[in-house]
Amino acid sequence: MSQPSPSTLSSSAASPSDVMIEARGVEKWYPNGYHALRGCDLTVNRGEVVVIMGPSGSGKSTFIRTFNALEDFQKGSITVDGITLSDDLRHIDAIRREVGMVFQQFNLFPHLTVLDNLCLAPVLVRRRSKAEVRQQALALLQRVGIAEQADKYPGQLSGGQQQRVAIARALCMEPRILLFDEPTSSLDPEMVREVLEVMQNLAADDITMVVVTHEVKFARQVAHRVVLMAEGEVVEVAEPEAFFTNPAQERSRRFLDQIL
Amino acid sequence: MNPLLRRLRHDLFATPADGLITVALLAVIGAGGASFLRWAFSQARWAVIQANSTLFAVGRYPMDQQWRLWLLTALLAAATGITWGMLRSHPRPDRGGTLWPRNDRIAVGLLVVLSLLLPWMLGLSLSIQLRWLSITAVLVLLRWLAGRFGPQLPAPFKRLLPLGLPLLYLIGMVLIGGGLGLVSVSPSEWGGLLLTLLQSSFAILLCFPLGVLLALGRRSELPLLRWGSVLYIEFIRGAPLITLLFLGQNMLGFLLPGGLAPERVWRAAWVLTLFAAAYLAEAVRSGLAAVPRGQLEAARSLGMSMPQAFTSVVLPQALRVALPSMVGQFISLLQDTTLLSLIGLMELLGTARTVMANPAFLGRNAEVYFTLAVLFWCCCAALGLGSRALERRLDPAAIARSG
Ligand SMILES: Nc1ncnc2c1ncn2[C@@H]1O[C@H](COP(=O)(O)OP(=O)(O)OP(=O)(O)O)[C@@H](O)[C@H]1O
Ligand SMILES: [Mg+2]
Repeated sequence: MSQPSPSTLSSSAASPSDVMIEARGVEKWYPNGYHALRGCDLTVNRGEVVVIMGPSGSGKSTFIRTFNALEDFQKGSITVDGITLSDDLRHIDAIRREVGMVFQQFNLFPHLTVLDNLCLAPVLVRRRSKAEVRQQALALLQRVGIAEQADKYPGQLSGGQQQRVAIARALCMEPRILLFDEPTSSLDPEMVREVLEVMQNLAADDITMVVVTHEVKFARQVAHRVVLMAEGEVVEVAEPEAFFTNPAQERSRRFLDQIL
Repeated sequence: MNPLLRRLRHDLFATPADGLITVALLAVIGAGGASFLRWAFSQARWAVIQANSTLFAVGRYPMDQQWRLWLLTALLAAATGITWGMLRSHPRPDRGGTLWPRNDRIAVGLLVVLSLLLPWMLGLSLSIQLRWLSITAVLVLLRWLAGRFGPQLPAPFKRLLPLGLPLLYLIGMVLIGGGLGLVSVSPSEWGGLLLTLLQSSFAILLCFPLGVLLALGRRSELPLLRWGSVLYIEFIRGAPLITLLFLGQNMLGFLLPGGLAPERVWRAAWVLTLFAAAYLAEAVRSGLAAVPRGQLEAARSLGMSMPQAFTSVVLPQALRVALPSMVGQFISLLQDTTLLSLIGLMELLGTARTVMANPAFLGRNAEVYFTLAVLFWCCCAALGLGSRALERRLDPAAIARSG
């Protein structure tokens, strides 16, 4: 009776070791001098699903791309799963192995079959045996509902199918954290749902997810917390119900007025 | 009406104007063709080709060592047959899975006819005619065997098979030049088609990795590497090949002390290689530019290192895009080997010039140049065909369309 259930664990106050991503005062200037991030703070706990929203150009993509060092930053600090991001290349490689990313444009490798898209990195990077990775890849494709497409090329799949392959490809590296940058924004409406369903199922596992999206329903149902960004700053961090019904900040209210 | 006739009529005589153009063109083509045929069969004296066929093929390669070249030719035919057969042995979806698609049957037919006709037309002895025929037989037989039984071969063996091609190249070098117990034949005795093919294959094989490295260097984030690559590429592309060839012949002698400077033929081969690498780098660069940024980002976000991301994600796509222009470079490289005659090498054109200088064959330039043109055309056509086949195999979209 005294055993806490997993759900109470993940929503209870986090101990330091449960912090998966810790960003402190992150500032970034693009090479052309544009100040894209102006001191962003964010803490993401283990198993948590955080949705980032905000108007176009507010720095959402830039921010989450700093988490796996696809973008560098000039001030502040980011710690991912206990590893502090620095210029040390070994740290960057270590972090990228733990953090998967799903892009708006899928970015599947068009010259490889779906199965090879999944197997490439685990074999090259984790040096696992091809046969073993294949098994896992097929299981993952099954899980995202496209096992029968394993031998096709990405160009032969619909957008929704491609994005599900991209999710499976990221999962095949067995990451602890998955970053999504507008995963459904370039999909036709009827395909959005199939991708969101896959993501919702993932969220039920203990994988940590940071999702940039404009899907309000997804945010309400799946997110533990919602972050609003505007003009390179984190404006508000709140539980979804509170955020959508009664935002604390005036800026959040204006944003919600535009999208709801 | 017969469908073929109807089609011809529709394509060529749809309107009176079309008909007029068709008739005019036919007249021009007919007149040109007729005068060519008149020249080829009544005026031309092909004895100049017949008498010098060995010279055109291998230059002054010693008679008693020519068996080595025959062996090499047979090995090349075998390798061609095996490669061709292995490529067909997969149940290719775009080929209906047949072992002998129509184009292959036509190709084999042409090969057999050519290997019967050409040696006879060249007036070669019966034993040599038979030799050519057996080489063709080896090719076709291995093509069939590899296609038929290739799929049953054990997987590790199949994976090692492609290594046979570079191995064959090394064996070929030994056979041609000597060593490992074979009498050495100095490069100054190599000539004709042999030298042309050696020079161009050497340059093609080596300029490829060099060109890829230069293209990557040009995109590097290290300024020294980037500027070095740019400087090299722009310098080479700004200088005519012939000046570089003369420079190579004269300067390498000064730069490298005595024995270290490579032999004249090798000097030329290196200059050709270094020259072609600069042009190839530009072709590869355009291919790299065609690969979206997201590909590298996706590879990196999966934890791949930069070299891993380039070799398994970016380069395969870039090279696929760059393939047609790379093959274009290879074809002009092949043709550029004729410049070697100006620095005194006896490749095809050099050989041709000595033949035409021979008083016995005075005034037979047209026959010689025509033969040369046909030979070059055949080599370039082979390169072009090979590249198109490769392009089709590398294009997932093409596989997708037929699958
Ligand atoms: N490579 C770059 N160089 C210069 N400025 C850039 C670059 N990439 C992005 N920016 C600028 O940085 C700002 C933040 O961009 P970012 O892509 O992070 O926004 P976003 O919130 O993801 O927007 P969207 O919803 O349109 O994807 C934008 O104003 C953009 O113009
Ligand atoms: Mg964005």
